[in-house]
Amino acid sequence: MALLNATIQQQVREALAGMERPVKLLMFTQGANGVVECAFCAETRALLEEVAALSDKLALEVRDFVADAPLAELHRIDKIPAVAVLGDGPQPKDYGIRLYGIPSGYEFGTLIEDILMVSRGEAELQPQTMDALKRLDAPVHIQVFVTPTCPYCPRAVLLAHKLALASDWITADMVEATEFPHLANKYEVYGVPRTVINETIHIEGAVPEATLVAQLMAARDKPMAQR
Amino acid sequence: MDLEFALEAQDRQDVGGDRQYDVVVIGGGPAGATAALYAARANLKTLVIDKGLTAGALGLTAKIANYPGVPGEISGAELVARMRRQAESFGATFVQAKVQAVDLEGEVKTIYTNEATYTARAVVIATGAMGRGQRVPGEDRLLGRGVSYCATCDAAFFQGQEVAVVGNDDEAVEEALFLTKFARRVHFVSPTPDVKASQHLREALAQHPAVVLHAGAALREVLGRDRVEAIRIAPRGQPEQVVPVSGAFIYLQGNKPITDFLQGQLPTSETGCLVVDREFRTALPGVFAVGDVLCNHVKQAVVAAAEGAIAAMVAEKELRGRKQLAVDWAK
Repeated sequence: MALLNATIQQQVREALAGMERPVKLLMFTQGANGVVECAFCAETRALLEEVAALSDKLALEVRDFVADAPLAELHRIDKIPAVAVLGDGPQPKDYGIRLYGIPSGYEFGTLIEDILMVSRGEAELQPQTMDALKRLDAPVHIQVFVTPTCPYCPRAVLLAHKLALASDWITADMVEATEFPHLANKYEVYGVPRTVINETIHIEGAVPEATLVAQLMAARDKPMAQR
Repeated sequence: MDLEFALEAQDRQDVGGDRQYDVVVIGGGPAGATAALYAARANLKTLVIDKGLTAGALGLTAKIANYPGVPGEISGAELVARMRRQAESFGATFVQAKVQAVDLEGEVKTIYTNEATYTARAVVIATGAMGRGQRVPGEDRLLGRGVSYCATCDAAFFQGQEVAVVGNDDEAVEEALFLTKFARRVHFVSPTPDVKASQHLREALAQHPAVVLHAGAALREVLGRDRVEAIRIAPRGQPEQVVPVSGAFIYLQGNKPITDFLQGQLPTSETGCLVVDREFRTALPGVFAVGDVLCNHVKQAVVAAAEGAIAAMVAEKELRGRKQLAVDWAK
């Protein structure tokens, strides 16, 4: 049975009609050769297949997390289900935009926004933000913990993804907290959205762009424990 | 986990469509509804975003007897409902949603709600003054560590645990009932002896086996070192009580202007209210504020309504690039 009903399919088709450059969704899952897939891996793959079918400019590549471990490592993907939203076509590019866990509920809109943003190649951030990002000189890892029922979360994720698009130093993950309880425990996530920058800075709630950028610039000076 | 896929929550209700407006009014009390009435009557595409008919000060008022032209006693909710119907008759649209954030810089303003994202050329802020002021001890420190203002966001983290919901309106009850799907027990702490929510919600709360009602109890403190471990409450006429919980979901109201969604984009006075000029313009072009969210204000429905009318007329003048107000004598 289709995950997207006819109305939503039509809306997504119309939204994706505005795509400029081609985009590729690179998904990592597990389950080839009859192995049982991880929780929500099958649903995530089915969802991406349905979405990818709605635009000629959108491609889907599904890879196995174990069998294709070198590729996963290359993209620094360490858990599944994982989706990287990549620029495709003659000049492919990995902007560091990641979604870990199924993008359902409020996060489905985030997936579509991500695709459109990568297709435009434009983050549409404030000029002050762009100036600040130019000063980055070391990798920054942003993790935004969410739940599918959180209406405040997509804004926090999209902002992080915009920053990733705008700066090659930044990788930004959406992490669906209930699918990765060990990470929710590790980062003491009891409320969402919760943004973790470089393992050291924790931000509660969806904050304005200027606030996040100020924290991000502060994170530059703090060591990053692990990626 | 139920899987749902929709671009915006509104799409699930099948009322999507165009979300670009000339005027978006935030708050549907007397100030907001009147602003919408005037804006819509001036043929501006107008949207009002409101939390609910009984979410504001007038909606909660049992009797109004001095609203001009409305003789006899009428409930505040009925008066607001009439204003809304009148605004709708001129083409204004009302949606029930909570505004989370706004982007008011620039010519096109963006309004983010829990249901959808809207854009507008002018925004009228009419959010009233029932926001919370001072937090209780422990609340800020334990935010995100068990203190939450959004059960639908965070309930999943409290599976099988004992939690508290503090509040007494529809939102508090709805969130408490949502939490019963996850938590083992939900302590509902109402600051008033009676819960001021709609009857069906009150009944659902009272009948739910996982809910323990603490009526007429004030929240004094949220306790815990690194995480919420308990709340301290003061039931009327009884000694204080410590209720062990791992989550405290707080939906209290107060008497402060509601401006948190602005995230500092507009200047406020020392008392937290919005500052406007004589024509209810704020510091940002195209952004107006009316009603109880303003300073030095006589908190009367008729005054709020009048302010809404003026702001809408000024907004109309500015959107149409005229120098003078268009006085609506003839229609």
